[in-house]
Amino acid sequence: MKSLLDITIWIVLIAHLFMALVAAWRVWRGENSLSRLAGLDLASTLTIAVFVIISIIRANIIYIDVAIAAAALSYISTIALAKYISDHRVF
Amino acid sequence: METVLQLLAFLLLVLGTLFSLIGVIGFIRLPDVYTRLHATGKVSVFGLVFLLLAADILTPLATWKALLLIFFVLAASPAVAHAISSSAYRTGVPLVGKRDDLKGKLEVGQEKD
Repeated sequence: MKSLLDITIWIVLIAHLFMALVAAWRVWRGENSLSRLAGLDLASTLTIAVFVIISIIRANIIYIDVAIAAAALSYISTIALAKYISDHRVF
Repeated sequence: METVLQLLAFLLLVLGTLFSLIGVIGFIRLPDVYTRLHATGKVSVFGLVFLLLAADILTPLATWKALLLIFFVLAASPAVAHAISSSAYRTGVPLVGKRDDLKGKLEVGQEKD
């Protein structure tokens, strides 16, 4: 059971890195700016997932703190960019 | 008890990865910004929350921080999706579907890159 869980966690980590790479490719080749922004939000969500998986692998709680900080940063930046694109000003 | 918890964590990891995979495939294949936002909500809500529940079981001392991050993700993800789709409608990104309930009720400008 223990070795099966280890192998599964590594496969999940590789799958999430690959999916983050695919989302970053869609940011590079997007149709319009809002589609690119949705891809950026998806890539940052998958990055948070990668931090959580690293915290499982290392059995260390401190990577969940990093994931909380990354979630707060991606939330604020995505909402500010969406408002800037629609209104041409941030506040 | 330990084996039961590890089996539960295994199932949560596999289920979260499958939801993330479905969301990313939908993000690539769907034709529109609005339908793509429908697909990325799956990654943010189901995939990340299932991974965080697995981390809650497997990582020692992680209970309350993982629950805090689950609460934050569940609060932040609909706000982000609503902000992106509202911005897309206001800048005049075309819809693929036929029905448009906001037609004529909202000032729609042009997108200036």
